[in-house]
Parts: sequence; structure tokens; C-alpha cells
Amino acid sequence: MTARKGWSALHGRDFLTLQGVSRDELKEILNLARACDTGLSGRPLAGKTVCLAFFEASTRTAVSFELAAKRAGADVLSISEKGSAIQKGESLIDTVVTLDALGADAVVIRHPSTGAARSAAKHTSAAVVNAGDGRGQHPTQALLDLYALSQALGGFDELMDKRVAILGDILHSRVARSVVPAFRAAGMEVALVAPATLLPGESEAWGLPILSSVDDALGWGADVLYTLRLQRERMTGALVPSVAEYSRYYGVAERHLKECVLVMHPGPVNRGVEISGDVVLSGASLISNQVASGVAVRQAVLALAVGAVERVAA
Amino acid sequence: MTGTPDDLVIRGSHVLDPTSGLNGTTDVRLSDGRIAEVGENLQGTRRVDADGLYLFPGFVDVHAHWRTPGREDEETIASGSEAAAAGGFASVVMMPNTDPVADRPVVVSGLLRRVEEESRVRAYVSAALHEGLKGERLTEMRLLREAGAFCVSDDGLGTQSTGVLRNAMLYAKSAGLPVILHCEDHTLATGVVHDGVAAALAGVPGSPASAEDVATAMALVLTAETGAKVHITHVSTALSAALVGFFKDLSVASATADTTPHHLTLTDELVATLQGLYRVNPPLRPEEDRLGVGDALASGILDFVATDHAPHATEEKELPLEEAAPGYLGHETAFSVLYTELVQQEKLPLSRLVEAMASAPGRWVRGAAYGILPGAPADLALMDLSEEWTVRRDTLVSRSSNSPYLGQRLKGRVVGTVVGGELIYNRMGAKVGARA
Repeated sequence: MTARKGWSALHGRDFLTLQGVSRDELKEILNLARACDTGLSGRPLAGKTVCLAFFEASTRTAVSFELAAKRAGADVLSISEKGSAIQKGESLIDTVVTLDALGADAVVIRHPSTGAARSAAKHTSAAVVNAGDGRGQHPTQALLDLYALSQALGGFDELMDKRVAILGDILHSRVARSVVPAFRAAGMEVALVAPATLLPGESEAWGLPILSSVDDALGWGADVLYTLRLQRERMTGALVPSVAEYSRYYGVAERHLKECVLVMHPGPVNRGVEISGDVVLSGASLISNQVASGVAVRQAVLALAVGAVERVAA
Repeated sequence: MTGTPDDLVIRGSHVLDPTSGLNGTTDVRLSDGRIAEVGENLQGTRRVDADGLYLFPGFVDVHAHWRTPGREDEETIASGSEAAAAGGFASVVMMPNTDPVADRPVVVSGLLRRVEEESRVRAYVSAALHEGLKGERLTEMRLLREAGAFCVSDDGLGTQSTGVLRNAMLYAKSAGLPVILHCEDHTLATGVVHDGVAAALAGVPGSPASAEDVATAMALVLTAETGAKVHITHVSTALSAALVGFFKDLSVASATADTTPHHLTLTDELVATLQGLYRVNPPLRPEEDRLGVGDALASGILDFVATDHAPHATEEKELPLEEAAPGYLGHETAFSVLYTELVQQEKLPLSRLVEAMASAPGRWVRGAAYGILPGAPADLALMDLSEEWTVRRDTLVSRSSNSPYLGQRLKGRVVGTVVGGELIYNRMGAKVGARA
């Protein structure tokens, strides 16, 4: 491969953000994920040590990373916030330094503060993979979303010019901050659908249309409805008046399902809030495909991060 | 004219003092801690050859955190005053958010004793406005004043209740103490950076500009009504600056106000770095605010500059933004940063910068004209405007190194600071001669 020009997502060894990611980068990672999915990649992480440091509760991301690392042949070490004192940033750095000393080749970090993975990366020679930082980024989520969507549409190139509406709590969402640049880099058109209380103060910073209901999103021509989780404590009160009003305008119901519209959600779903129960189970839902894509995508990311596979991008 | 044996003559510098109107090459003779005379060919027992240097009135910083008592690992009165002297500051006001808080007369008198022993510059104590800075119970302001407190402030927090603040202003007025206000509405200030484009993209929790503007408006209304001597510190938004100007144009009691070197030179684009080093409160604002605040300083709507010198240990700064402690070092870089970024870029005349760092805050602290005037205390800053230097950890004399300007190349540097007629900071080496 040639120079790193344009390699923003995999800047150096770390995998921290999808801000500024290019189409070629996405394509390469997804191609590698496909190879992992079909078992063509072998065990690229054999002899490597992958540490999972989760400073915040997580089920699917933690399990998915663990499975990915094991399938790729790595030794896996996991530490979580439960039962240990690792919650503050000070211990984040100390934890990373410790893992470094133990010879970790990659450290996968989930942390409640934006920028935590980036801070950690300054204190270790291991490759740091961001598994979600505060409201910042959740890059592997966006990649598995692209992977699942590409498969459903018949290939990565099919994403070009498709329209995706991102619905719900964009303000507090690291997933939104990763899927927006990822979908755009893949050639998709993106709109945001949320009340102003769930949008950042300067949501026009993205230069995206801002719509006010699922119906408006369908009127705009959405091919994909990408819904975000609304935290329970935010469902009633100063940000959103009630579940009834929220789900009426921002929740996807069966009546919204027309031919070809696909529904996605990073999980875990609040059924009846972001998506009605029957939509979750319908053929329009890609939710379980998203989860299923996680392992292959994370195998690819880990393999790239530790330098176990050659980069093949243009 | 011949001076007394202890006289110090500063020879041949370009004296620039907005208060006296001096602006040209001349000599200044200091005697008995005061300015004795200004003129040609002055004689004294000691002399400083200052050809090619500029001489200003000593700078005055009404906003500093010297972390004493409680966090002497970050700064002490000795180290804070050395940092101030290295920045040309002859007078500094210490904020009360220490541990314990300076909310009792015994803490204030203890601090002043330490100042006497350790400080290289004049140091004034701001006591707390409310016990524990909590905005509930008034401090014993008259006893605090007797113990030597210079003013009162809840800096770092800001009083949340309008009614409580109004009473505090009235009481401070009757106690004869100025009030320094940190204006911030905590129901709005829920984030750690400015709620702007950079925060939206990076996903860092933001506080809107209204968190400052609403509290500033409230403070100005209450100042007009109570007539208290109020100073609003670290104004960081164009709207807050405009509000200060609006009240000054009315025929009511109006507050004075300052802004900081960092709000005049840095913007919230630094949020994208996600580095805790850059966390500060009020947060760095967008370019429009930086320019608006700069215009307000140039026009005099904002009266002066204060640094909000806030040392922090490395482990409190090498963190994600949300977990880092807010604040920057300020004393040592203030003049050079503003000279480089504003004066050299022709955004602010040098004379206005000197007024904003010396004459205006000096007048506020002294309650009298502050400048290079015969009979006035001899507090001076000697400057080499041609010297270029790079801010590095090892060039900082503060105990901490949390400067947002680390690595930056600056022009103009303090070479000497005089407090009470004594050259207490001197980078000129052999240039001080024995006989004039």
C-alpha cells in the first residue's frame, strides 16, 4: 500500500473516530470484515493480546469484541467497572499504563467521557480501539451498521445516494456522531429527526436537513430509518414531555413501513418508544443483522489496528 | 539633580504611561519606594541601563488563584508571586476558593501574614462573599475587612439566587468592600465547553453562552439598583460585553468588567482536540465572541484584563475534557500573548494594552490614579518588545505548567519588574550598574 494520505479513521495505530473517514477506508474495512465473516482471514490475531477495558456497562459491544478477538485467535483479557475502582479518568490512565506493561497489543476502551480513548492512546504503545466514549464516538457501531446495510441492499456501492434519516436523541448520542460521517462518506444523504431539546445547540454544524417527525422523514424520501435509543431518564421531563408524545412523532410504527424502507437501531431498543414491537419483528428491521455484523467488523478492526493484516486500500 | 543614596535610576527606556501621558525616551528616578522624578540625565546611586526597552506602570491582576491554603503542590504565595513578577505584575488579587475557603477572618489574616513573608509582589486577598462560596449565608464582611480583606467574591461558582445576590451586594456596600462577580447560571451551565459547533461535532457536553449572559444581565440590574461597587470578571461573550456597555451608557450605577488573555486570543475550536488541558471556565467561545470581546476591550466597554491565573497539577489536566479541572496559567504569558496576538496584529494599540493591564486595574485596586507619577508608588514593568521566546514548561516559574500557550512562539517579554522601588524580577543581568 502507499502513503497514509486520507487515512483518518486509522490514524496511526489507533482506531478512535470516524470523523473525516473516507469512502475508500470504509470500503477496505468492510471488505476485510467480509473476509472475516466467511472465515477467509484465518486467525490474524494469533499470539496477540487484546484487552477489553469497559468503564461503563455494555452487553452487546463487550460480548461482540470478546468474540471477535477470540475468533481471530487472540488472548483476551477483560476488565470492567464492576468490582473494581476504575471509574475516574485518573484510573483510566493508570489502567492503560498497567495493560501496556502487561504487553497488550490492543486495548479496547468503553468510557463515559468524550475523548477518553484518545487520552488513553497517549499513554500506551498498544493500539487503542474506541468502543464508545461519552457522547463522542462509537466507530465500530457505525461500521457494523454499514456492513449490515450493505448486505441488505446488495453491496457497499448500493449505499450511494440512498437517504437515511437519523431519529431521536442525537444530542447525547455517540452513535449519531459516528454514523453521520460514516453514512455520508458512503455516499448517503442524511437527515436528522429530533426535537430541538435532543439536538446539539449547533446542530446545523453538520449542514444536514432537520426534520420533525417520522412522517416528514418518509416525505423527504428516507430509504432507511435509523433510530436512536432514548435513555429512560430522559423520557419524561424537561427534554421530552412524555413517551406518548415522543413515540407519536419520533417513534417508528407499523404504519410507517412501506415498500423498501428499512429500520435500524443500535440497541438496546425501548420497544414502544423508538420502535413499536411489531416493527422490531418485521422484515423491515435490520436490528438483528446489525448485531450479527458486529463480530466480523470488530475482527477486521482489531486486525487492522494491531497491524496483523496488510492494508489494501486504493 | 542628584538623588539620595538609595535612589535607582532607570535610564534611557521608552516610557509609556497612559495615566501621565508619557510616551517617549526619558529617565525615571525612584526613591523611598516611590517615583521621585521623570526627566533627562537623572542621577542616582544605582542605575538600570534600559536603552531599547519599554517602561510601563507595573501590571495589576485582579484575578488569580495561588492555591494557598490547600493546594500548595500547585502554587504557593511565593511561586505565584514569582510567576506574577515574571509577567510584569506588581499587584495581584488572590481569589478565595481555597481549602479552606477564605471566608473567615482568621484565614484572611493568616494569608496576609504569608504574603508578608513570601510574596514578591503586592498581594491582596479577596475573601468569600458567602460562606464556603455556597451562595447562602453571608460572610462576616466587616470582620473580614478588619482582618485585611480587600474585596469579596464567590469566584468559581457564582451566586445562583437573585435575591441572595442582591442582599450580598447591599451588605458588601455597607461593609465598604468591592464585589468581584463570576457570572454563571448553573441551570444553563451543564456542560464543560461552549455549546457550539465544535462541541456538537465532537460530542462534548456544552454550556450555552446564555449561562453567562443571563447571570451578567442579572448582576448588572442588581448593581444599578444597589449601587454596590461591582466588578464582573472574565467576560467571555460578545453579548455580555454589550450588556456591560449598555448599563454604562445609562445614568445608573454600573459595574466595571474584565476579560482574559485566553478569551481574547483562543476559540472553542480547541474543543476538537478533546484535551483536558484546554478546559476553562467560562469556556473558550467562538470567533465572533472573541472578536466582540476584543472590540469591547479596545473601546473601553470592558475596563481591563485579568488573567484568572489558575494553576493545576498535571494529573488534573491530562484527562478527557469532562474530567479535567478548568483553568489556565495566566501571569507569565499575559502581556506577551496580547502583544503578539493583538498589538502586533494592529487590533489593539500598545497604549490601550498598557492601560488595560496597568492603569485601569491599578486605578480600580488603588482607588486613585495609577501610573508613573511623581509621588506614586514605584511599581513598574520593563519590557523588551523585540525579544522572541517560546513558552515551554521549563520557562515557566509557576509550580504548575497548564498553559494553553505551551509551544507557542511569542514576541515581547518582561525583562524587569519593580515593586515599591525594588527590582524584584530581573532578566537583564549585568545591565544593572552600581553608579549612574
